[in-house]
Amino acid sequence: MMFTRRKFSRTVLLTSAGAAAGLLSTQRLPGTSPEESMVVLARSQKLKRIRHNIPEKHVVPVLNEALKRITGKSSAEQAWKRLFSRRERVGIKLSCLPGKPLSSSPGLVMSIVRGLISAGIKPGNIFIWERTGRELERAGFQISRKGVNVFGTDVMSDGGYSERIEISRSVGTCFSRIMESVDALISVPVLKDHDIAGVSIGLKNFYGAIYNPNKFHANNCNPYVADLCAHPLIRKKLRLTVCDASRVQVNNGPAFFPRYALEYGGILLSTDPVALDYTGWKIIERERRDLKLKPLKASGREPRYLFSAMKLKLGQARESHIRLIEI
Amino acid sequence: MSPKHLSRRCFLQTGLVAGILAPTLTGRDTSSLFNTVGSGPDIPGGHIREARYYDKIGEKKIECKLCPHECRIADLERGNCGVRENRNGIYYTLVYGNPCSVHVDPIEKKPMFHYYPATRSLSVATAGCNFVCRFCQNWEISQKRPEQVKTIDLYPAGVIKAARRNDCRTVAHTYTEPVVFFEYMLDCAIEGKEKGIPNVMISNGYIQKKPMRELCKYLGAVKIDLKAFTEKFYKEQCSGTLKPVLDCLLVLKDEGIWFEIVVLIIPTLNDSPREIGQMARWIVRELGQDVPVHFSRYYPTFMLKNIPPTPPALLERARKIARDNGIHYAYIGNLLSDASNTFCHNCGKLLIERIGYHTVIRGLKKNRCQNCQAKIPGVF
Repeated sequence: MMFTRRKFSRTVLLTSAGAAAGLLSTQRLPGTSPEESMVVLARSQKLKRIRHNIPEKHVVPVLNEALKRITGKSSAEQAWKRLFSRRERVGIKLSCLPGKPLSSSPGLVMSIVRGLISAGIKPGNIFIWERTGRELERAGFQISRKGVNVFGTDVMSDGGYSERIEISRSVGTCFSRIMESVDALISVPVLKDHDIAGVSIGLKNFYGAIYNPNKFHANNCNPYVADLCAHPLIRKKLRLTVCDASRVQVNNGPAFFPRYALEYGGILLSTDPVALDYTGWKIIERERRDLKLKPLKASGREPRYLFSAMKLKLGQARESHIRLIEI
Repeated sequence: MSPKHLSRRCFLQTGLVAGILAPTLTGRDTSSLFNTVGSGPDIPGGHIREARYYDKIGEKKIECKLCPHECRIADLERGNCGVRENRNGIYYTLVYGNPCSVHVDPIEKKPMFHYYPATRSLSVATAGCNFVCRFCQNWEISQKRPEQVKTIDLYPAGVIKAARRNDCRTVAHTYTEPVVFFEYMLDCAIEGKEKGIPNVMISNGYIQKKPMRELCKYLGAVKIDLKAFTEKFYKEQCSGTLKPVLDCLLVLKDEGIWFEIVVLIIPTLNDSPREIGQMARWIVRELGQDVPVHFSRYYPTFMLKNIPPTPPALLERARKIARDNGIHYAYIGNLLSDASNTFCHNCGKLLIERIGYHTVIRGLKKNRCQNCQAKIPGVF
């Protein structure tokens, strides 16, 4: 994907300027009720990957519809504005470890960028990032510092991580400097199984935002994922999770393992990161059952960190409290 | 090499060399020695070597057999140490010949008091550790991945040459945790043994028996940090376990290699007389009275900043308990004290005097007390 200056100028022109009406933190989104969270699952043949990418033209309408449902707004532009205000700097955290076959699709990411620009956010205030530039390039992104920023933590000064140790319950770590420099975050994970954590979706995606993720894999990453995401840098900034479920790794993740990779043709979206992960986990369990694979609990890797996250009030991990909207 | 007094000139020279090499520790001042950050792990065949101890467990997964964590690692993932990676079902170390820190230190700084005292040691470290000690003094390199620190290319032959060039009697694998750069340390030790520059391992002792026994064939000496004598402390303060460390000490005893023990005393966490007494009795019973034990002073750092530095009295109490339980050589470290000197266990005469890292051999001739001719344990 090329984020050229010209392309983004065109994108900006195509979107209306709109009034700046940023998210008011005191207002509750339909999907962020403490009692009930909303998750949108969009599925379509058109959302399946073609040469490891979902065509952007198919993603945009689906993404916009999902966002309208989540925010209760009648137009996509209003929906984006409901979540992000035009003066904000927005970081889009991708998941690119396995390379093109199982990374956040450029088409999906481009669609999110278009949405942000429609909310009046300047391309220069959008940061698409991962741990390293190398991972981004392997996933099909082109490093850029013009227009929309696309780069890894590794190119930032002093190795890219803050010098200060941040303590968040059981986790002591240094965060990517990108986390400190943005006002809002969007997590764009891929729906996949994880050999230790059980599943690696939106919350665990933030292991890619710290300098020592290797230290937090004991006990199926529980409570470490939850404790990490309880840090204000994530808790206060994470506005939206858009999970790429176009291809789902249901076993042997987090790397791409074709034998257990399903062409699912889906996108999951929620403002509640725990509810989204919980829903993604249940999808993986269903697909594992169809493939006659053992449930994650029986495999000794139930993602209990989701329940820890719920206890920390990061979101809902109870099926009865998650409203799943399928479109 | 015979025991050598560290003269004032020599001491200043040591400081000068250390000063020249000092930037490598923090990597603030880049010089032509350095690669750029992030270059380490991806030079094909350069810093990447297949790991020596691991099992393939199917579907591209591996189980590391180097340290007691026994990390099970899927493709593209790294172990707890952060410096070993599974690539397509093969496990690699990413830090071979790629230290982030190279200094010339007095060997007393390790601390090691009965192994070539008053000599210099070329001290090397790569990124990484298999513990997360909340009080780690070197967390800025030990808790990082190789791509997050500045590094230099320095392969085993170069390490030994650098040691010779800098008048170092030994090479010390130190600062971080050498277990995690096992292959690099092993090859340095083999090269050093051939060339008459013994290698010493300054470690937490969190290593499996088999690799430790292999290392013992080539190393000159080992220093083990015995962080405490309770599993609770190891679990809560270090993310590790005590039992494998004790097993490692038993292996060292069994192999007959020279080793010393350091205990960092942290007020309220591992300083109870009962615990220190148990530790001392275990050491005497299982390892013998001649293993030197250093009680070091803790300073607040990293994730443990709410406890003040260890009062000297606590260190003195720990030393007394050790001596009362039969340990011949109990020292106090990280603090100016007469208890840093070596006294003959038989007649009590001063053998080696230490003021900071300035060391003077007084009453020792080869490995015997000049006064009573008692044999002094160690390598002199």
